[in-house]
Amino acid sequence: MNIAVCVCQVPDTASVIGFVDGTRDLSRVNEVMNPYDEYALEEAVRLKERFSGSVVTAFSVAPPSAKEMLRKALAMGADRAVLVSGTEVSDPYQTALALSRSLSSYYANTLPDLVFCGKQSTDFQSAQVPLMLAELLGMGAVAGIRSLSTSAEGLRAEREIEGGVESYDLHYPALFSVEKGLNIPRKTTIKSVIEARKKTIDIFPLSLDATPFVVMKTITPLERKKKCQFVLDEKELIRLLGEERNLL
Amino acid sequence: MKKYLVFLEQRDGIVKNTSLELWHKLQELAAPHHNIVVCGILVGGVNLQQLAAELFGKGVIYHAGDERLMLYNSAYYAQIVAELFQREAFQALFFADTILSRELAPKLSVLLHASLLSGTPIFDGAGVDCGSVRPVYSASAAVSFQPERSTRIYTVTSFLKSENTLSTRHIEFKALEPHCFFDVDNSFPFIRRVVMLEGVQDLTEAAIIVGGGRGVGSPEGFVLLEQLALLLGGVPGASRAVVDEGWRPHSEQIGQTGRMVTPLLYFACGISGSVQHLAGIGSATTIVAINSDPHAPIFDSADFGIIGDVSLVLPKLIAALQDFLKKK
Ligand SMILES: Cc1cc2nc3c(=O)[nH]c(=O)nc-3n(C[C@H](O)[C@H](O)[C@H](O)COP(=O)(O)OP(=O)(O)OC[C@H]3O[C@@H](n4cnc5c(N)ncnc54)[C@H](O)[C@@H]3O)c2cc1C
Ligand SMILES: Nc1ncnc2c1ncn2[C@@H]1O[C@H](COP(=O)(O)O)[C@@H](O)[C@H]1O
Repeated sequence: MNIAVCVCQVPDTASVIGFVDGTRDLSRVNEVMNPYDEYALEEAVRLKERFSGSVVTAFSVAPPSAKEMLRKALAMGADRAVLVSGTEVSDPYQTALALSRSLSSYYANTLPDLVFCGKQSTDFQSAQVPLMLAELLGMGAVAGIRSLSTSAEGLRAEREIEGGVESYDLHYPALFSVEKGLNIPRKTTIKSVIEARKKTIDIFPLSLDATPFVVMKTITPLERKKKCQFVLDEKELIRLLGEERNLL
Repeated sequence: MKKYLVFLEQRDGIVKNTSLELWHKLQELAAPHHNIVVCGILVGGVNLQQLAAELFGKGVIYHAGDERLMLYNSAYYAQIVAELFQREAFQALFFADTILSRELAPKLSVLLHASLLSGTPIFDGAGVDCGSVRPVYSASAAVSFQPERSTRIYTVTSFLKSENTLSTRHIEFKALEPHCFFDVDNSFPFIRRVVMLEGVQDLTEAAIIVGGGRGVGSPEGFVLLEQLALLLGGVPGASRAVVDEGWRPHSEQIGQTGRMVTPLLYFACGISGSVQHLAGIGSATTIVAINSDPHAPIFDSADFGIIGDVSLVLPKLIAALQDFLKKK
């Protein structure tokens, strides 16, 4: 089975995003693998361990500095890693397009049996790339799955919707974006990290001819701080919420 | 002439409240302008009479009522919406921001070559033609996004609920004929089963949420939070710490790797206020924090605070609320 996993980098949540003259200052930011992509990768590696002969390949559209993250993907159990570079992508559509072109080329115009993505990136939270990619590749897809069972014939996936759970039946090939709770990603070990050093990261140069659908215009810091009014008595709180704010 | 299409999402034959609100909001925006037309699309069987009684405004609602469309199917739904959108030359497509829309909208963006602005929060008249401003980086910054295509798709999160000022009712339902694509391609995912959890209100739609963190102390401690939520007509929520402990289900997790919620009132009980948690409650209107540590960061993001032990504060709060509700 050919399994592709799409991984991207996001600022570590502890990083402070700075702002200088209305633009981002990312110099103090530490980039890590998008947390959702760890679930995607873990699921792929577990399948590889079940279906012998499977190959897990991690893809990332990113600058060369993302090699560190791809090393982590290899240490977590991916067999191969592909860095799609040479093109600067600025929106989810361009990203999805770059991924679809590189996947098609990498798998010689056949589709991988499975593609896993994270549900969303934690920085911009667009949750657009996976389903755009599925549409571009012409693959059936389910977004935000929390459980998956696979057999040689087909796939069964579950996801939470507002107030309930949907179960899906699918055929191969299929694309999933995955929700937290699908699995618990393994920690890398010293041994796996050393072994990952021996694997190579393929560089896939790609130039895109497509313009973005959406551009980012301005970015401004959001002030979240509020002035907290401390209340000593529960009755007083209820009065404030009920009478002053009309919330009860 | 501007033509907008609203996707009216149904489950079990009931159109979602968030879709109805969005419809009314767009109708209000369009009302003063004679050059804006707002239409709707409804996929799956619903009781049209009942729906007509709930709807205000004017315009056509296209209804694809075929039995086979009752259950959501991303491939069919996307195709039906795309066909209508192109045939009637709409310029913008609006969804209420739901799990379903987050799946359909990216597909449609590719199919229609339309700019997709997901999670567009408040939406005013201008919002349609300009871009959308929404929080990013755990709600530490706001970005304005500009659509580059002439056709746009929006998934709209919360909007200032307005009093319904509409009185006109000129809604025409038009049947959309089912297409023969049903049996053409069966390689797409189909829903085998949907299990709705009885009486469970979804976090993302709740107006009041009582969130609990590690400071609640144990799974049993959440009984008090559930009681408070029940009295308020709200729902319980949780921090990641308690979800990871297995005290609460994942579906209740709020934050960067959980749900983004937009309640009018949020209680943070025994929650420290990590950036990741705050990322999920950035759009909450009023926040009340209950925490035994006066220096807990949650107080910096709260409107009201009580310093104390949740297990002691909550029973008193519940009693006070019961009193208040009785007098009301
Ligand atoms: C990549 C990543 C993603 C994450 N995503 C999320 C997310 O989506 N959502 C999320 O919530 N977290 C998330 N986290 C975890 C986050 O960093 C915090 O660890 C978590 O929010 C802490 O949960 P907590 O506030 O319940 O617990 P703690 O931080 O342990 O806080 C407990 C609080 O309870 C108070 N307390 C203790 N006893 C009492 C008492 N008897 N009465 C009153 N107060 C009491 C304490 O003073 C303290 O403030 C994420 C972390 C990472 C690294
Ligand atoms: N630059 C990228 N390279 C590879 N995969 C990506 C990239 N951007 C997004 N993805 C995938 O798409 C998912 C959702 O991202 P987003 O649509 O940006 O929220 C991520 O979890 C990744 O699996």
